[in-house]
Parts: sequence; C-alpha cells; structure tokens
Amino acid sequence: MKLTELKENNTAVVAGLNGDDRFISRITSIGLTPGSRLRVIKNDKNRPMLVYSRDTMIALNQKECSGIEVTEVGA
Amino acid sequence: MSEIVTIALLGQPNSGKSTLFNALTGLRQHVGNWPGKTVEKKDGSFSHNGKIYDIVDLPGSYSLSANSDEEVITRDFIASGRADVVCILADSSQLERSLFMTADYAGITVPSFLVLNMADVAREKGKNIDVNVIEKNLGIPVILFSANDKKGYEPFYKALERAVTDKSIIDASSLEQEYAGINGYNEIKEMVPDGLISGYSPMWIAIKALENDPVVIEKLKTGLDPEKTEKIDSFRKSVQGAVEAGGAKFAWIDSVLSGAVNEKNENITLSKLDRIYTNKTWGKPAVVLTILIGLILSFIPALPLMGVGMGIAALKAPIGEWLISAGCPDILIAIINSVIIQSFAYIFQMLGFVFGVTLVFGLLEEIGIMARVSYVFDNTMGKLGLQGKSVMPFLVSFGCTMGGAAGSRVIENWGQKVLTIALAWAVPCGAAWSVVPMLSTLFFGPGAVLVIVAILLTMILHMWITAKIFGRNLITQENRYGMIMEMPPYHKPKWGALLRYVLGRTKDTFIRVTRVVLVVCTVFWLLSYSFVSGSDPILYKIGMAIEPVTKIFGLNWKLFMAFVASSIGKEGALGVISALFNGGNFYGAFSDAMSGGAVAADLNNTLLTNVTKPEALAFIFAITFNMPCVVALAATYQEIHSVKWTAKIAIYYTLGALVLAAVVYHIGILIW
Repeated sequence: MKLTELKENNTAVVAGLNGDDRFISRITSIGLTPGSRLRVIKNDKNRPMLVYSRDTMIALNQKECSGIEVTEVGA
Repeated sequence: MSEIVTIALLGQPNSGKSTLFNALTGLRQHVGNWPGKTVEKKDGSFSHNGKIYDIVDLPGSYSLSANSDEEVITRDFIASGRADVVCILADSSQLERSLFMTADYAGITVPSFLVLNMADVAREKGKNIDVNVIEKNLGIPVILFSANDKKGYEPFYKALERAVTDKSIIDASSLEQEYAGINGYNEIKEMVPDGLISGYSPMWIAIKALENDPVVIEKLKTGLDPEKTEKIDSFRKSVQGAVEAGGAKFAWIDSVLSGAVNEKNENITLSKLDRIYTNKTWGKPAVVLTILIGLILSFIPALPLMGVGMGIAALKAPIGEWLISAGCPDILIAIINSVIIQSFAYIFQMLGFVFGVTLVFGLLEEIGIMARVSYVFDNTMGKLGLQGKSVMPFLVSFGCTMGGAAGSRVIENWGQKVLTIALAWAVPCGAAWSVVPMLSTLFFGPGAVLVIVAILLTMILHMWITAKIFGRNLITQENRYGMIMEMPPYHKPKWGALLRYVLGRTKDTFIRVTRVVLVVCTVFWLLSYSFVSGSDPILYKIGMAIEPVTKIFGLNWKLFMAFVASSIGKEGALGVISALFNGGNFYGAFSDAMSGGAVAADLNNTLLTNVTKPEALAFIFAITFNMPCVVALAATYQEIHSVKWTAKIAIYYTLGALVLAAVVYHIGILIW
C-alpha cells in the first residue's frame, strides 16, 4: 500500500521507492530505505505527513510521498 | 607543508554547522559567492595553540550526490585538495539518520573527523552515546559536542589536531562489504581507473555510478572505452542502485552504532508546542502569531539604530545653517545634505530593521521553529514554487521590505530566495501604510476601507502573477519538490555566537547597502538639482516632456514626480506633492520632502482642489506597488548578489506600478 494511505499511529515498513533520481537520493538520505520501520505521527489533508523513523521526525509533502510503498505491521 | 591548515565543514542542513562556524570564527568571516555560482560561500579563520586555521563552510546538503549546485560545489571543493581536513557534522539527537553524510563521505581520501553535535539535546532525550565505540568502528576522531557549550571547544580542537596529525581516514572496509552485495558493484569497481577523480576512491566512484550520479558517469564515459561503459550501463539498469546503496549505507551505520547507543526507547510523541503548530486549524495562526511576536520583540534591539538614523536626519538643518554661515558654496551644501546625510539617515533607520530581523530569524532557526514554519506553510507556498519558510519575509515586509529581503537569507536555494524577495516587494511596507490610508480617507471618506481591501487583493494577485513570470526562470523543476525534511528537536540557542553572527551580517549589509544608496541618491540629486540658477532641473524637463504619456496612467507631471520620488522613499511622496502644488521651487521640494520635511498644513485642500478622484486612486496604487525604496533595492542586491536580477525586479515593479495605475485610473473614470 502507499504510505499516504496509512493512518495516525500506524506502524509500517518501507517496501519500495519509485521516483526519479533526485527523489530517490533525497528520500534515502533522510533514511527511508526499504526495510526501514516508520510510524505515522500525523496525516492530515493539505499538510505534509509527519512520520518518525530512524531517530527522526520527518515531514513529507503528500505528493512526494506517493512514491513510497509500505507494508503495514501490527502496532 | 603550509603553516595554515584549511578545514572544510560538511554537514546536512540543521546539523548546527553555522552555529559552529560562527562560534569558531566570530567576526573573522567573509560571505561571498562560490565562483560562477549563485550559492553563498562563507569562509573565515581562527587560531588555536599558535596555529592559524582557515575554515570553509561547505554549502548545506543532504548527501554527496550531484543533484544540486550545493552538492557539486561540495564535491569539487573536496576534490580540489584545498581542504587539509574535513569536519563532518552530525546531529546526536537524530544520530542514525544524520550519519548518512558520514556514510556518503566514506571512500573519500581527504582526512576527516566527526563531530556529533547537539549532545545536550540527545542527553535530554535520554540517549547515551559511547563515542569510543563509534571512533573505533570509523577509524577517525569522534567527539560529542554541543555548539552552545563553551567547555565543548577544547575537545573539538583536540580532535581537529589529531585528525590533522594522523591524517585519519574513515575505515570503509565494512561498508564495502555491504556494497559488495549489490549486483554489479564488484564488476564496476574493477573497471574504475585509479585516480579518476582526485581524492575519491574507486569504491566511492563505483557506488556513485550505481546511484546514477551524472557527474561520475560522465567521467567514466570519458575515461573508459565504450565497451566497458556499456557494461556499466547495463548493470545500472538492472538494479535500483540508489535505493540499494542507501540501504547498504544505513546497514553500515547500524553496524557502526551497534553497542554505542543506549536509549530509553520512549514512545515518540509530539511535544505540546508541536501539537499546536501541527494542528490543522490552529497551526497557521500559531505560526503567524509566533512570527509577529518575534517581530515586535525585534524592535527592541532595533530601536537604538533607528534612533541614530533619526539623529542623523536631524543634523541636516543645523549643519546646513553652519555651512551657510561658513560661506560654503550652495552646491557643496546640497551634496552634503541631500546626498550624504540623507543617505546615512535612511540607511541607519532601516539597518535597525535588518539587525532586529536577522536576530529574530536567526533565533527562530536555531531553536527549531523555522522548520515548523516550513511545515505549516509548505502547501500554501508550494503553489508559488516556494518553501514554507518564504512566508516569513512576506510578513516582515508589511513592516519593512529591507527587513524582508534580509530575512530571506533563511532560504537556502538561490532561485527561491530571489523569487521570495521579488514577491515580498509587492507587500505594502510600513511607509506605504503611513501614506495610503491617509490619502484614501481624504479622497474617498469611508470608501477608504474598500481602497485598502482592493490593495490587499491586488497584492495577492500581483504576487501570483509575479511568481508565474519570474518563477519560470528562477525555480527549476528539480526545486519544485515538496517538503522532505526532518523536524529538528527544539534546542537552546547559543547567544554569543548568534549575536556575533548578527553583528557581522549587519556590518556587511551596512557596507554594501551604503554603496548602492550613495550611488542612487547621487544620481537622483544630479537629476533634480538646478546647476544654473533659474534653469530647470533635468527631472523637471523630463517630467514635462512625457506628461502626455504619464497622463495615460492618470498621473500629471506633479504626481508623476511624486511617484518617482516614492521609488527613493515612500514617505517622500507626500512632501513632493505638497511642495509642487504649492508652487514651490522644484529642487527645494525634493530636498525637503526626502528628508521627511514638513508637509504644508493645507495639503488636504491643495490635493482636493488639484487632484481628481481617479487620479488619486491611480496615484495611491502607483506608489503602493512601486519599488519599495532605494534601501530595499540595495538590500535586495546584497542578498541575491546579482545586478541583473536586482535590475530586472526594479524595472518590473516600476512598470508594473504604472500599469496598475492606468488600470485603476480608467476604472475610476468609469465610476466618477
């Protein structure tokens, strides 16, 4: 499923990344590589998503993170 | 070996790089541009134990890929061999993620050491970090550090000295084992010729090739025969190299950190403040309120400087009298009063804004609030092709456009910075607000409210159109990306370093702005001074000659002259009108008006009898959306370092204001 489909407090593991080189470079450098675990802190419409992963609170523009595939894991 | 050691500071944005740089160099720093690039370059120097160190602050970037000017500059600087040692910064409170830069650096053969900044924040988060373990795993000096803790600097200097004497290089053998698992890595590495890019190991080059790094691939193409290049291409196509390489880097980071970090794994929640800022309804008002409070507070440190400016302006009359009594020629008095004293009076008054805004914005950035501003306004500003942060210069510009321009320095990307300033000019500044409501009330009575609403709507439209016109050239597609950014934890500012930085910046602004303002004021004075007594100044002749044209905009020559004066300073516009309509001497009118001189008591009557309603409306719009003032022009140049773009923006606004005047004038004619 897409990262954006997750709800607040869902936990998931990154399954795949799709996008151009620049996007891949940016998203991996911030730590969202396949296999990394994340938790959704906030997912409001018209606001960047807030996810917590690798020690870090990350803000992600909704459009940008449509290229992030995740697998939800039991919270 | 040279006596001076050159250090390059490498770190992601928000890693505390500027704080460290400012703390080390103090006022011994220089801000300029990287040659041929629009990226800001900061360098400085300091001495320790009798040794002199030059320090270069590399542009902040998230990795060492080649996707932006910042990254390419960083890589080229390292390859140039000018740095003796690279100081890599990471954020201890977000250790795992922020070590990515270190992982990306591994394989570069320029000596380095690692500074784990923000140790105080990590400690507060309940995180214990054993640097000895990390140091053993990396093979370079590693220290825990808080840029805002004075005691932390001794270990910093020690680590620096160790890195320089030992020429310590990151042990990348275990990282290479991770890379080796990626299909094609070993084969490509075999093909990389030695010394392809100086300072970069074959390992580094091979992995960048797999990451589709355009610069590295180009180098490989020119250095290898086509057969090998083809082979590399086929490997690149077979894997998602950048994704796998990213995974390998983080796997390595995990191994480097294993046994080094002891953390109370608390459930992560948003702090109280963040719950307000990220609230759907209250986030925006809360951010705007925070900025406004900051701006109000910024007046406190700004007031003394503004006072100096007013003091200088007040000197005009006594100095003038003294010069006359000393028998000084008129022209000299005019130069001293209209050009020199006038310029410095302007500059000091606005410098107060620059000082206050730089301090407050710097503070908000250091504490971590700036990142929240970006978050809250990401969507809104994204529509203009800007970052969320751009909202701050816009708000400041309601007070002073020069402050807005100075505040735009929090925007790292040059194109976005230029566009932000270009749009900030459309925001009516304090001076406009001191003139517009008064004129509107005079002509339109209660209708003034409508005029002000119309001005605000026009402002929004103006910004939108300007963003379309300038955005095409300024914001490349790659910068139209939405936000992908970490939210740094809040932390305490380092006041000493911050103040030194603000003072340095204010000084820089003062020097550069003075040059521009003196030039513009001189030109303006030359045009408005009667060199032969009894003859008319050039500006007057031009004004008369083009009156048939300016009439189209609803401006007769007197109003047009006031419009011209408003590009120098909006406060002056009323004075010019007052003097011209009262049949005053043309030059005297300008000179007095520009120094904020007295507006004739019967100005209201003069205006009402001489100016029609449509003309008044045209004039109000013309001065509101004209170039804000000469000091704002200078500040814009100071921030964007480009004569071409400063001129473009200035011409665009001058013409734009006239077009707007024409539009409202003709609407006005239809109404009245």
